[in-house]
Amino acid sequence: MKTKFKQIALAAASATLLGVVANTAQAANWLMLQGTEPAGAAKRAHVWGFIQAQYQKDTSDANATDGYVPPKLIGPNLDDQSGFVVNRARIGVRGTPLPLDSNVNYFILTEFGSNGITAGDDPQYLTDASITLNHIKGARVRMGLFKYPGAEEGLQAIHVFDYINFTEVTNQLLLERFPQAGDTNQPATPTPNADMNQYSRAVGGFRDVGIQVFDAFKSGDWENSYAIMYGNGNGSNYGDNDDNKDIYLYLSTELVFGGKGPRREGWKMFGWYQDGKRTDAYDRTQEQDRTRYGIGTKYLKKPFRLTAEYMKGEGMIFMGQHRPTHNFNDKEADGWYLEGGWYIPGTKWELDLRYDTYTRDENFIGPAVPPPPSSAPGDKTEFNTITVGTQYHFNKKTRLNVTYASRDNKSDTAAVEAQQKGVDGRFAIQVTAIF
Amino acid sequence: MKPIAHRLAVVLFALGLCVYSLQVSAAEKSFADTKVVLQISDNDPFKQTLVLNVANNLVKHYGPDQVDIEIVAFGPGLRLLFKENVNAGRIQSLVDNGVRFAACNNTVRGMSKILGEEPTLNNNAVRVSAGVVRIMDLNKQGYQLIKP
Repeated sequence: MKTKFKQIALAAASATLLGVVANTAQAANWLMLQGTEPAGAAKRAHVWGFIQAQYQKDTSDANATDGYVPPKLIGPNLDDQSGFVVNRARIGVRGTPLPLDSNVNYFILTEFGSNGITAGDDPQYLTDASITLNHIKGARVRMGLFKYPGAEEGLQAIHVFDYINFTEVTNQLLLERFPQAGDTNQPATPTPNADMNQYSRAVGGFRDVGIQVFDAFKSGDWENSYAIMYGNGNGSNYGDNDDNKDIYLYLSTELVFGGKGPRREGWKMFGWYQDGKRTDAYDRTQEQDRTRYGIGTKYLKKPFRLTAEYMKGEGMIFMGQHRPTHNFNDKEADGWYLEGGWYIPGTKWELDLRYDTYTRDENFIGPAVPPPPSSAPGDKTEFNTITVGTQYHFNKKTRLNVTYASRDNKSDTAAVEAQQKGVDGRFAIQVTAIF
Repeated sequence: MKPIAHRLAVVLFALGLCVYSLQVSAAEKSFADTKVVLQISDNDPFKQTLVLNVANNLVKHYGPDQVDIEIVAFGPGLRLLFKENVNAGRIQSLVDNGVRFAACNNTVRGMSKILGEEPTLNNNAVRVSAGVVRIMDLNKQGYQLIKP
């Protein structure tokens, strides 16, 4: 009898261990993972968050007059070429308000780190605040402030991002900046105190306030998802700044190999589209279409990972953190990236390699749209980056990222070329702890 | 016609009662050497995973024919046996290996008052009048109580 009890206790103990490492997150795709809670198994209030502390060093050269432009400086303040920063420090709560009713979920997340969301004169500290209603099968409804459905690099949870800095195409084409009347341009300036970040409002953070209808459907080993969202088109800012609204569409299909949570293994293909209008901050009578769309694929089956995305944008093409008055335009831009990872078997190390390219202001023909003036016609600039990196996973929740980005930028415009010519490497090291 | 329908209803009711009795009394007729009753009464989702892991490990360790397991859910732990629970697949897999699931009817009644309607339970859940009484009864029959 005693032996039998021992055996039972042993089984219970090993199950306890298994339970500790078991991932209790719901089936993964970003729509479901961020917008819903596991039915019948969610807490009333699950407190969670993460911290990312980093150091970055830029090795770019100044221009001929000893001035620096944003790609040569460390964000979010863009005033120097090296520095330590607590890039993200987020804490949030999610769950189901009445645990007996799985049909209602909520998600709230705050940001206390130093980045584009909190760097402005009017920083945003609440990055997500949404309620999801799951009453209609096949048409879940999410309302509030949350990540809009779109490109993988923006939609994915940032604390499991495999690099430290975004690709140029995501940073410039998708991470929306919002100029305010009063924001002025800044010429190339010597360091320190270059203060090249001339935008006084928070960046969009791939977020919007609105309503989204979405769901995911399993069909054998495949999982198909859709999302339609209607939002303010004003980024992570709480209110709306004009009468225009944005529409977001998203479709994905994934062959699921196994696992759960953000690191679920599978092969996903997706496409997305966003469209809206923006009002000129400097002349409220002017409006401009802003359209973005893209396709992509992601394969993850350890020890290999491969991701590729192509994105294109029309209107409101970002022209640099030091040139907010140039943001209102009808230019075009596009770019893509290809990245891969190898989890070295039997170790806690992972190797990463990424190539990304972005062409700003391509095929520009005709005069610049209404004043304030944008760049001269033919202001085509290319940003090409190769990033090599490694990650060391201390455990499932804590890891070290080290990256080095080699950059090669060039422009058709002499003035821009003079600034971009000296852009060189960037070293970054970051520790992420999730709790 | 009416008497036939009436008789049919009585027969169906009697059949249902038999099935229910068979399920509930399965424990009493168990010939397994090892008998375990697992309690889930906690609101914590982690405990749901844990109790299913324990049951799974017991089945793997002893073999489905050599161990008799019943999981009794009551109080906040009853959520494990809600029809929409994300662990429904694992529950079915355990049922296929002979594990039984008992749902406390007192809890169902209490939850119905809060929700305004009765929660829909997993088809594999067998209702017992009171979860805690069920555990005590099984205990008397030689089942060892484990509360993961």
